[in-house]
Amino acid sequence: MTKLSSRVTAVLVLAFMAFFMLFTFFGKKENTSENENRPLAGRPGFSLSAVADGITASQLCTYTADHFAMRGVWIKLNAAIRAEVGEGIINGVYIADDMLLDAKASDRARADESIRALNSFAESYNGAIYVVAVPTSSGVYREKLPEQFDTYRESQQISDIYDKLNRKIKRIDAYNILKMLNKNYIYYRSDNKWTSYGAYCVYRTVIQRLGFMPTTYDKYSVHHATSDFRGDLYNRSQYDGIRPDIIDFYSCSGGAEIVSCTGYYNSGKTVEKHIYDEKLLDMDYMYNAYLGEEVPLLKITTTVKNERKLLVIKDDYADCFIPFLTQHYSEIDVVSPELIEGRISDHIRFSDYEQVLFLFGIENLSKPDILSTLS
Amino acid sequence: MIYSSLLFIYGFLPVSMLIYHLSPKKSQPAVMLGLSAAFSAMIGLRYLAFVSIYVLINYASTRLIGHYRSKKEISLPVFSFAVFCDLISLFVFRTDLFSEVRLSLGFPETFFPIGISFLALSAIGMLVDVYSGKIEAERNIILFSLYMIFFPRLIMGPILRYNSFRKAMEGRKTDLSEIGVGLTIFVKGLAKKIIAADTLYQLYTAAHSTSLKEMSSLTAWLGMIAYVMCLYFTLSGFADMGTGVSYCFGIKMPQSFNYPLFSTKIRYFAARWHIQLIQWMRRYVTKPLFSRFSNNVLRRLIYIGVWGLFGFWYTFSANGLIWGLLLGAGITLENKLSSAKLLNVTGIIYTFFAVMICFVFFSGESLSYSLRYIGVMAGGGANFADTFSLYLLKSYIVVLLIGMYASTDLFKNMMMRSGKNKVRTAVSVISPVMVLSLLIVCTALISYSGSSEMILVRL
Repeated sequence: MTKLSSRVTAVLVLAFMAFFMLFTFFGKKENTSENENRPLAGRPGFSLSAVADGITASQLCTYTADHFAMRGVWIKLNAAIRAEVGEGIINGVYIADDMLLDAKASDRARADESIRALNSFAESYNGAIYVVAVPTSSGVYREKLPEQFDTYRESQQISDIYDKLNRKIKRIDAYNILKMLNKNYIYYRSDNKWTSYGAYCVYRTVIQRLGFMPTTYDKYSVHHATSDFRGDLYNRSQYDGIRPDIIDFYSCSGGAEIVSCTGYYNSGKTVEKHIYDEKLLDMDYMYNAYLGEEVPLLKITTTVKNERKLLVIKDDYADCFIPFLTQHYSEIDVVSPELIEGRISDHIRFSDYEQVLFLFGIENLSKPDILSTLS
Repeated sequence: MIYSSLLFIYGFLPVSMLIYHLSPKKSQPAVMLGLSAAFSAMIGLRYLAFVSIYVLINYASTRLIGHYRSKKEISLPVFSFAVFCDLISLFVFRTDLFSEVRLSLGFPETFFPIGISFLALSAIGMLVDVYSGKIEAERNIILFSLYMIFFPRLIMGPILRYNSFRKAMEGRKTDLSEIGVGLTIFVKGLAKKIIAADTLYQLYTAAHSTSLKEMSSLTAWLGMIAYVMCLYFTLSGFADMGTGVSYCFGIKMPQSFNYPLFSTKIRYFAARWHIQLIQWMRRYVTKPLFSRFSNNVLRRLIYIGVWGLFGFWYTFSANGLIWGLLLGAGITLENKLSSAKLLNVTGIIYTFFAVMICFVFFSGESLSYSLRYIGVMAGGGANFADTFSLYLLKSYIVVLLIGMYASTDLFKNMMMRSGKNKVRTAVSVISPVMVLSLLIVCTALISYSGSSEMILVRL
């Protein structure tokens, strides 16, 4: 290399570094990343113990990454390179032919805490308990994943939970229903979760177990609310090569209607909500259009005249599932156990309900404290 | 903080270069020491305290030894004590044998003093040289500390003799073209780490996700090639980054690796792998022992034993020891039989096989695991190739081929032989653009998490 070329290198690289340094540390800071649908790291705080262990420095490292100048462009470039080099894994997301899949589905812990919470609940509760553990797309489309990401299969994860549940608890096998139908659009291409249609297919079985005849598919009219939905796997990978998803709203012509849909915050404040909220499609995370933004407790009353009440304890997999249930119950109360403060029993009385339905994605059931507010 | 992080590349490095170049030449060593202390503090204040004490103990010892050199009854105990401290610190922090000692000294369980292995060897080398009178004890504590903890050397920097370091310090010259060379080396190291090593690490973990019983021969080979190349690119990548940064401060350090992977003899592989370390071993272990024993057989055994020690230094477990012993034995055997002339190509192939086999022992969980692994590589696996191994091959073949090319000296040779013709001019023109593009790619690849921390072996 000649001296001139070295000098040019020095000037180019130093200018590049200086430019991005200045813009990163003196540029405007955002609090959240719209594209990634997550809050960005805040300025690290200082404490002697944190500095001693290097925690402050590693927070500073994360802070630099989160607020790096033109971060959006950089991570798109990252995704484009990683899609071409090696196996095509970006930040734990595997790029299959036509969809994104979570490559870390096999790393999940065993759901011992959830099993314990459910079993001790079954001891104290006299009504009927139903549990549905919903697989993620990595489980239903596991043949699309390379072998090394398929070591602890979701079918196994689910049966490990079901086998250990108290005999009083009725388990509903969503996995095999979905597996059989996996030629259909039952999972989003860019998210772990099932689509409304996937939820409907499982609903048919669930509602029979709950003691009703399912509403047939032809009674519904399906409205494509948007075809621009980008799910969680997209947010994580920022990979553009997969088509965006469709969000569908199902309305039952001539069926029961919603009388009220009220969300309760921990403070006691209430908010009126909708089963399907088209306005929320303009927000960052379109999936919130189902049941609106999550609240600790949601009470839905319908025009059904059978005075039956159902309690649903759930995560976001249930958001597109619950609309189907409204054809059968006068009242459905929905609890998000992670958001509730104190215990669930501080907010409702379990004895008011004959039936309790637990509906969770398998990914959330294996979180250790997901059901900690149950007892 | 690690060199391959956004905070270092777009924060610490430019700021420290600015401070250094703005300060007057006389105070530059102090500035460099201050920057190194800041770098250590960003790893953790506890770490800074640790290296400070470490440096002080060794500084005091060398001064004492230097002062009482003629009085053996004083200098010998001090010397032995200091060497003992350095050696025992390696065992305390790199093995779990003394975890209670570590806890009682107030170090949390997760604490690992980065670069301790290099620190200890530098310190011991210096103690030996001062004790034997080869060099004077350094009085200037700033220079002494800088020798030990200069931040571009801290993580995996080359081990220098104190004299070479002094010379490099005195002869330091910083102009724009030196900085350009430094940044080129730095970016090269960054690319080795982030583009090559991290991708190959994925292949390595993917291949090793299947149990040995189900592993096909092809998977076993891919896994092993990925491991060896990942290790090479990690070690030499960090060494390059360190060397590059020191160039930016005007200090020229030697290169640690000279394209060892595709050598034509095991001996050449050994001579090009972690060069300063091997020189250290030769100078401070092999030579003193050789001077005591003139018996040829004994000398050969010593030679192999020192290789074992060298391997042990990497892992502090039987793995590295076996790796070293095998390499040492391989070289001895090769020297015995070297009358047979080999073609270059066959030489490369046989060296590559031999080196691979040695590294199986380096990476394996246990001796029996490694032996079974070799069995699978030799064709005793479930089958020769299965869909999984073909999938891995298809996914990584480009990375493997580029990695192989980058770990040979083909490009360098082309540059050397081309003299002053057009190739050279073209490379000079393209070079700045290439360096900037590589920096952009590396930045993109760490933009999500902010750094690339995988180290493979903690030294």
